[in-house]
Amino acid sequence: MSGRDAAITKPVPVPDELTAPFWDAANRGVLAIQHCTACERYVHPPEAVCPDCQASELAFREVSGRARVYTHTVVRDNVTQGFAADEPYVIGIIELVEQERLVLVANVVGVAPEDVRIGMPLRVTFERLTDEIALPQFTPDEGD
Amino acid sequence: MASELSGRAAIVGLGYSKLERRSPRPLAHFAREAAEAAVADAGLTIDDIDGLGTIPNIAAYGNTGDLEGIDIVTVPNMVRMLGREHGIRWHVQTPGLCPDTIMAAAAAVASGACTYALVWRAVNVPKGRYSDFSMAQARGEHQFRAPYGFTMPAAWQSVALRKYMHDHGSTREDMAAFVVQNRENTQLNPKAYWCGTPLTVEDYLEAPMVADPFCLYDCDIPVDGCVAVLLASAERARDLRQPPAYITGYAQTTWPTRGGFTDSENMWEGGAAMGEKLWESAGLGPADIDVAMLYDGFSIFLYVWLEALRFVGRGEAASYIASGATALDGELPLNTSGCSLGEGRLHGMAQISEAVLQVTGRAEARQIKGATHAVATVGAGTLASGGLIFSREARA
Repeated sequence: MSGRDAAITKPVPVPDELTAPFWDAANRGVLAIQHCTACERYVHPPEAVCPDCQASELAFREVSGRARVYTHTVVRDNVTQGFAADEPYVIGIIELVEQERLVLVANVVGVAPEDVRIGMPLRVTFERLTDEIALPQFTPDEGD
Repeated sequence: MASELSGRAAIVGLGYSKLERRSPRPLAHFAREAAEAAVADAGLTIDDIDGLGTIPNIAAYGNTGDLEGIDIVTVPNMVRMLGREHGIRWHVQTPGLCPDTIMAAAAAVASGACTYALVWRAVNVPKGRYSDFSMAQARGEHQFRAPYGFTMPAAWQSVALRKYMHDHGSTREDMAAFVVQNRENTQLNPKAYWCGTPLTVEDYLEAPMVADPFCLYDCDIPVDGCVAVLLASAERARDLRQPPAYITGYAQTTWPTRGGFTDSENMWEGGAAMGEKLWESAGLGPADIDVAMLYDGFSIFLYVWLEALRFVGRGEAASYIASGATALDGELPLNTSGCSLGEGRLHGMAQISEAVLQVTGRAEARQIKGATHAVATVGAGTLASGGLIFSREARA
């Protein structure tokens, strides 16, 4: 993390009507995913209407934070503001254990990029960006 | 049972601007060059044109500009450049993919809404770094990607190649076989940006990694340029200078996953949905196709489209290409002009134009003998995609 130009910040999420519960939970150190009360399926990113059953009753539910690497990339030619000092960095497509193909994007941290593997067990951790925003990130799950 | 529109419209003229990179010329000049070339190709004059259509999207994701005549060329600009304020009866400009606009133009000429419709796609190489994302705030769909440094289209697609290699046991050597074969095709296409620049397997394997497992040559080559096509009804098409490329099949699909490319399976599912509509619209199937122009903005899309259109089974595309089946002398010649990876980043118009040239016998050194039906796809399967089938005869 050293050497980063302090004047160039990474993009900070701006919560909206659909996503505020996700970011509110993350700010408390909790991973909460939108869940359809009709078909009992998780939805991410949050939607106004359930894409599986078209119900509009969706609520957020705390999940275990346990996950696997679904797939990933190692960025070596970055174009995103604030990430130059992080190269190479790992972007994971993270599949939560609660549901097949329930995926979210996060950096895989606490492991060398070349050691990340598809299927690797992960657990959530949080990276504080501002007073209001903490980013869910994922790190290898060394437990059981 | 083919669609009622099948065979009722044709592409009768094709025009290219020169393809350059970081040209000092305004994009508008490229667009006019391509438009005039397409009209002349058909043996017509600008005064015959009464329909216009374009796709006024900026070239790249990120904070590129949207200046008229520099970054985009809209219908009003083209009307002014052609001096056709009084002559245009029909026009459309729709953000999206070029098959959408070509389908709209086909319906317009088939229905008589206009007689000759000119469709162009002009793209540039934006100033600064390609797809530069320098926003301090991540709103809307960006909020679950940009804070993680996941803003580059090459990175979005590279995760799909990683998963494909893992699930199906393919290798970077397999992809090198395709990219090198594609670059060989490109050497037979004088319009292509990479014509004159061969590529070896070693060049591919040793190229700089952009987003591992994507290297530089898994990405298409951004250019400043424009391609224009001229459409007419099947009846009029028969009397013009060039043999017509009849549009016998067409389909477009939205596969609107809000997570975008996060789950690469969506690419195959959305691609297959488009493919089934495409085959149905023409009353044709994969075995009827003589030559295929599949969208290759990134290399992984070739695997998506070969499998989604049922040319091969799921997981078989890499070994199919490596077997030589998609070479110019193979059973399914693929991207014979080099398309996006070799000719240039023209957002699908390279696919459309080469399909037209092949079924009209105009593909010169790349010509596939007896090519009767050619398929062209645009897009990545997910989000949105479109496809067209061009045929030598109006009735498939």
